[in-house]
Amino acid sequence: MSGRFEKAADRGLAGCHVCGRVAELALKICPRCTSRLELRKPNSIQNTVALMAAAAALYIPSHILPIMTVVEIGVVTPNTIISGMMTFWRTGAYPIAIVIFTASILIPILKIAALSWLCAAAAGWIHPSPTALGRLHGITELLGRWSMIDIFVVGILVSLVQLGNYMSITPGPGALAFAGVVMLTMFAAMSFDPRLLWDRLDEMAKDPPTSKDQSP
Amino acid sequence: MKAGFSKTWKALLSWPKPPGERYAACEFCDTLHEAGTLEEGAAASCLRCGTVLYQNRVASLTRASACSLAALILMALAHVFPFLTMDAATLRKSLTLLGAAVALIDEGAPILGITIVLFTIVSPFVLAGGMLYVSLPLMFGRLLPGSFTIAKWMHLSEPWNMVEVFLLGVLVSLLKLGQVADVTFGIGFWAFAGLMLCMAFAVAGIDREELWDRMEVARR
Repeated sequence: MSGRFEKAADRGLAGCHVCGRVAELALKICPRCTSRLELRKPNSIQNTVALMAAAAALYIPSHILPIMTVVEIGVVTPNTIISGMMTFWRTGAYPIAIVIFTASILIPILKIAALSWLCAAAAGWIHPSPTALGRLHGITELLGRWSMIDIFVVGILVSLVQLGNYMSITPGPGALAFAGVVMLTMFAAMSFDPRLLWDRLDEMAKDPPTSKDQSP
Repeated sequence: MKAGFSKTWKALLSWPKPPGERYAACEFCDTLHEAGTLEEGAAASCLRCGTVLYQNRVASLTRASACSLAALILMALAHVFPFLTMDAATLRKSLTLLGAAVALIDEGAPILGITIVLFTIVSPFVLAGGMLYVSLPLMFGRLLPGSFTIAKWMHLSEPWNMVEVFLLGVLVSLLKLGQVADVTFGIGFWAFAGLMLCMAFAVAGIDREELWDRMEVARR
């Protein structure tokens, strides 16, 4: 399968990750934009797994700790992401509740699951089709940013609702944790190199795996 | 004078290729392709995995400059006028982009405040301002100093531009506040919505490969 196609790496060429120019790897820096030339993103799998693990660890406090605290006529109510979503659901604002559920609860989990799947495939533990995985990688990069919506909502509410003794809102530690989750998963998706999936495929075509580690 | 004119004329024509043998490597599977010229409106895809390698956009420089200029004007409007105005009891509060960030910093969440500034103010400004700075002179075959550095910064800030996410955030906040106060949209909101569209058009208006090729040709 790989016979028909030649890789840039096979000829000692590398595509610049900033400007796209294909240049000889021996040059070390891109002749067009002077960025560093790399054959593959360095330590791609390790970096992705590390960032992902940090994101997964922060995911728990981000949903347990309050993202904001509402003080209404002396009554203090801490708000978590989940309680905010439940309020929308109870008042009948179903579309907004679904948006928040998707952006804040579902997307981070799906993103971490998808990246684990990709890392496992790049490391050669599982052997799914790279095209399907590529689509998955594209979707995770596209969706991750939408999780920031709750952080923006906290910023907007804190800025607007400063009505002295009547009502005020302050940001909580959960918001910081959640912003951490979103940014770490974005960095994790960026540090993953999809070319590793195809390298693995070509390697297997050249040297088929023994029956012992072949997936059913 | 005459040489300058012909340079200007050439720059307005379609995508020039810098001299030398050119390849394109698929960003996704690293398959090597010979990079041929494309007709306006056409796209080249990877033969192996189907990822788009590069595309020749119609009137790319004109579109990129015009949309980024419009984006900058709308950005100024979005900073001057409020997004939302809230009336509760006898108090009136207005929301601006910078106001949201400053409120977070004041209320003890400086990192979140800086995050909002980076994602909704700095990153869109680098993208739109950088695009105008690079692509407008390129229409006349010229390059302003620092264009290469700025183009790199644009590439870096692209994934962190969250204008559309902030807009959805404004809508969610509006629904949250609707129960306790009278909230009305301001000019800032509509300007920001326009900014979102113009940014999308500016970024999609010119292919990365074409922008860098034109810069390389103009440098000579």
